[in-house]
Amino acid sequence: MLKCTINGKEVEVKEGSTIMEAFYKLNEHIAHYCYHPGLSVAGVCRLCIVDIEGNPRPQIACNTVVTEGMKVTNKSERIKDGAKWVLDFHLINHPLDCPICDQAGECGLQDQYMEFGKYNPEMSEPKVKKHKVVDLGPSVVLDSERCILCSRCTRFTEEVTKTNELGLFNRGDRTEIGCVEGRELDNKYSLNTVDICPVGALTSKDFRFRQRVWYLKDSESICPGCSTGCNIKVYYNKEGMFRVKPVYNEQVNGHWMCDEGRDVYKFVNREHRLLRAKKHASGAWTELAPGRAAKEAAATLKAAGDSLALVLTAQYSVEEYEAIVSTFVNEFKTRKIYFWINNKESFDDFDGLLLRGDKNPNTKGLLRVLEKHGIEATWGELEKGLSSGSIKTLVVAGPENPAVFPDLRQKIETLSAAKNLIWLQAGRNEQLENLPGEVTLIPLKTFVEKSGTFINQAGLEQRFKRATTIVPEALTLTEAALLLSGKDLSIPVAKEVFVETNRRDDQVMLEHRKKNEFVFRRGAL
Amino acid sequence: MSVVQNTGETKNWYLPGVFGGLVITFRHLFRNLLNRKKMITLDYPEEKYEYSPRFKGNHVLTVKKDGSLRCTACMLCATNCPAECIKIVAAEHDDPVVEKYPINYEIDILRCVFCGYCEEACPVDAIRLGPEWQTPGLNGSNFVYDIPHLAYRPQLKGGIQSHVDDEERHKAGI
Repeated sequence: MLKCTINGKEVEVKEGSTIMEAFYKLNEHIAHYCYHPGLSVAGVCRLCIVDIEGNPRPQIACNTVVTEGMKVTNKSERIKDGAKWVLDFHLINHPLDCPICDQAGECGLQDQYMEFGKYNPEMSEPKVKKHKVVDLGPSVVLDSERCILCSRCTRFTEEVTKTNELGLFNRGDRTEIGCVEGRELDNKYSLNTVDICPVGALTSKDFRFRQRVWYLKDSESICPGCSTGCNIKVYYNKEGMFRVKPVYNEQVNGHWMCDEGRDVYKFVNREHRLLRAKKHASGAWTELAPGRAAKEAAATLKAAGDSLALVLTAQYSVEEYEAIVSTFVNEFKTRKIYFWINNKESFDDFDGLLLRGDKNPNTKGLLRVLEKHGIEATWGELEKGLSSGSIKTLVVAGPENPAVFPDLRQKIETLSAAKNLIWLQAGRNEQLENLPGEVTLIPLKTFVEKSGTFINQAGLEQRFKRATTIVPEALTLTEAALLLSGKDLSIPVAKEVFVETNRRDDQVMLEHRKKNEFVFRRGAL
Repeated sequence: MSVVQNTGETKNWYLPGVFGGLVITFRHLFRNLLNRKKMITLDYPEEKYEYSPRFKGNHVLTVKKDGSLRCTACMLCATNCPAECIKIVAAEHDDPVVEKYPINYEIDILRCVFCGYCEEACPVDAIRLGPEWQTPGLNGSNFVYDIPHLAYRPQLKGGIQSHVDDEERHKAGI
């Protein structure tokens, strides 16, 4: 281990690590474009210059190795002035199209300009014109004028995906990013290049012009797209969800995520969702509130007795499985709980980076809960039971993301053989809404609207928290389990563990109530 | 701050105040009757007052030389709007030089407070507050102005052109 001093703070780093890594370790701010912790060092942007004691000239932090006792600073006036001039050079040919650029608001150039720049440009030559709106592939659009040639994207295709589609062509100020002739940027991780692009040169076709980024809030979550369980950030506002970006987690996904996972925001939005419960009885559909539909279904379940069964998909959280499985085992005394496996043939596929064939986030979690309750029912038994008529009432926790269930249509046909079908699902499905038998459709919440735990393929438990609410009336599977067993929903009250109070157990405290003089003197005024 | 209060008997006398007011009223009445040209009121709506050209009235979206909208749908006006009355839907333009344009631009004029912040935020001189201020409407008429109204209403005679020209800027290499 080597000791060095960064901006007056001492830090120990491994031998061979760079000054940039020491900055990262201390969480000390340093401006940079081309350096990315997940990629190799290029040292082309020259923005991360630092002063090293005893060294007459500024050095770049990303490509200088730490030596014992090194004293580094990037707070001096000389460095600030240097960074300003580096930035000036970057911006010589940069077009002033922030108004139409999707990156505006989270752009590296804007951030650094506000920190170091704030100068009047002294360049009198006309700007070099390059290609705009270049279609690089099915998901990415390139604007060469905005590019600052940091080469992050080319290094990404070279080192991470190893597909080598992108390259830097021409020389000097006419250098452009582009695809190698005859190829396009079409790999399963191509949208990561959009994330790592520090400027607006690469933009996502899917997100392009749909929202300005400053209208979006973000929240960390877990990708429900496959059993890898990548850590993600979801971006949403009151109109719904708009995009997904990866969050660094060394154990799971590193810095990246796949393009398929970027689509998980789609089924969450209102236009794809079942908004109210629907009930088909005696030939007519009626709409009702989800809670009421679940309560009405509770009576059917109670009367079903031995002919009751439950089908679960691996798309819900561990807590929800525990709630619904224990309800069925303890309240309804049934052990007919079946696991709907969506793509059995490709279940164990793995592409070597992140993508897995098991397109459910929580297969491990479901199997653990089933094992805990000692349930060993197989799908064949369910089909037999349905055809023989021993299963008449069927509760199904359907797929949250219907896109990864290729057998959905056929499975609905099979399951609709039950006399009473209670289908819990977040999304709308036309086939379900046209079933002839007695059907109750109850809307559920999606992964952004609830907190819970997913267990990924490696057995890692990952908690995720609620980000926003899109369909307020929808139930979580836990709530549905409570209502289906005939109980009421209750607000859990946190009890004081160490301090005794004379608060009643069920007393709801309004923590956020404004406590000002008008509240205290209410009634006296 | 202290308030001076009249505490004597005279505080209950109201007739001096009434007559004082009437004197002013009648003074104005006779002056206006004798000299109608100096009357400060207008016979609205036959006569209309001309405000200065910098008056902040109803919004105008400026157009380019070819008559298309100048607005690039950057949403800075909507972001800056304190009344949150601007709603824009952006879309991709076929021309790569234009790239982004609004397919829908709506101003809820009843929410608008005519502060002019949209005009100040606009980086391309696409929105201005024009001189019109009389916007009466019958019951149920539409006060949410869309692109045809904002840019091409008959009063604008085919649209107002902005001083800034894209093509000239591109040629100059800006």
